[in-house]
Amino acid sequence: MATLTIQNLHVSVKGNEILRGVDLEVKEGETLALLGPNGHGKSTLLAAIMGNPAYAVTEGSVVFEGRDILSLTPDKRSLAGLFLAMQYPSEIPGLNSADFLKAAINAHRQKPLSLFEFYNALQKAYSDMGIPFEMSKRNLNEGFSGGEKKRNEMLQMKLLAPRIAILDEIDSGLDVDAMGIVAAAIRQEQKRGAGFLVVSHYARLYDLINPTQSAILINGRIVVKGGPEIIQRIDKEGYEWIKTELGIPVEKETDAPMNSVSIGACATKVRMDDAKK
Amino acid sequence: MMPKNSDLSKEITYVDAIPEKASFLVPEEGSLKLLLASFGKLKDLEIEVSVKKNGTFQGAFADFSSFSGKVILNVRLLGEGASCDWHLASMASKEEKKSFLTSVIHEAPHTTARMSNYGIAREKSFLTFAGTSEILHGSRQSVTRQDAKIIVFDCTADGLASPILKISENDVDASHAAVVGRLNEEHLFYLESRGIGEEEAKRLIALGYLKPIENFFSDQSLVARIDSAIEGGI
Repeated sequence: MATLTIQNLHVSVKGNEILRGVDLEVKEGETLALLGPNGHGKSTLLAAIMGNPAYAVTEGSVVFEGRDILSLTPDKRSLAGLFLAMQYPSEIPGLNSADFLKAAINAHRQKPLSLFEFYNALQKAYSDMGIPFEMSKRNLNEGFSGGEKKRNEMLQMKLLAPRIAILDEIDSGLDVDAMGIVAAAIRQEQKRGAGFLVVSHYARLYDLINPTQSAILINGRIVVKGGPEIIQRIDKEGYEWIKTELGIPVEKETDAPMNSVSIGACATKVRMDDAKK
Repeated sequence: MMPKNSDLSKEITYVDAIPEKASFLVPEEGSLKLLLASFGKLKDLEIEVSVKKNGTFQGAFADFSSFSGKVILNVRLLGEGASCDWHLASMASKEEKKSFLTSVIHEAPHTTARMSNYGIAREKSFLTFAGTSEILHGSRQSVTRQDAKIIVFDCTADGLASPILKISENDVDASHAAVVGRLNEEHLFYLESRGIGEEEAKRLIALGYLKPIENFFSDQSLVARIDSAIEGGI
């Protein structure tokens, strides 16, 4: 059984240290709920696991199936069996969704799928996720609503069948029906044996997918590990008890650094950023 | 809506042999579709289009030529309800210096214009997208949009996108978008995180910039030529 082991992970974004020694383990077949106040490093941790180049690992290790994956590019991490559903999936102008999905699926296979197999797999995935098949002809995430983007992330997860799926606030922006569909997709992957690392602020999603463990990330470190009962407690009481009971002060939320401006924004600003370098 | 008189609607296609100077008049209620494709040598071009009342001009240019110089398009929307829809996909490579100056003047109310220029600058090339969208006083309820987007593929290439809006009327909808940049890192990461290798991810993003031009061409053999020019160039 594959295990994702994170040890003493330090991660900086634009020179600011966000993670200050994270230890965490996720096993195939288990579901770990990762909680914590905003701005304490949850998204940073998930992005660093997947290898986003904007997140610099300065210390520590991430081992998957006995292999340190920190030296691997994101595509190799995906091929190893990891999947990250993003909080804000990128809109890619001009890139047809079906073409993208074909490239992604075939990257995971020795022999490319036949057109017939691909078409069938695609139709089933779209129908399972309650997305009209017509959407496969649209540009990737372009003009999709928040909920459509999230469902589209889950659609990719189903098609790529990862061993460990990492979900970053997959439930934000979902209505009740979409939440049900997303939770059903997660449960199906759980049955298949996939492991999950799930970040959410709401007990509602967790109620639907039954995490086996939970952990709380505060000030860039994991401060509490336990069972699913912790989720209920945080849902009722918030994070105040961590300070009073455990004596861990919860630092104020630090402003996440702005993304650098590129395609899709104003040329003048890109020029200004370039000039600074 | 009354169907347009077929005598009034024209479709003109030039492949490579594009006249250096050309001017077109779209008559009242008429339409012109101007399709340009270039794969070889090209000289400086100057195209003028005047559009009368309720006339429509649609132009598309698939530019894979090897040349250094200027392509100028000037569109005048003369009559009420006239419209212009222009799309360019250009690839510059080697040491080419290509400039596209696409301008439109709204000279009557309820006129609409869209100028979309997309390009990729490779190797040591320099690509410029400029042009002015001007709305004259009295051209109320006019809509104008300029898009100029350039991906700089290699660090030795560069580009300049500077669309200008000149508006002398209050009751209008005018907007522009200008981008010159490397491939967006977040877009690359998104594709790579799905198992797609860096080279293939770059290729897919670049294709997305140029491929939409194919939608304007109905001649399938020409579409195939454009397709192989895009695939071969990236």
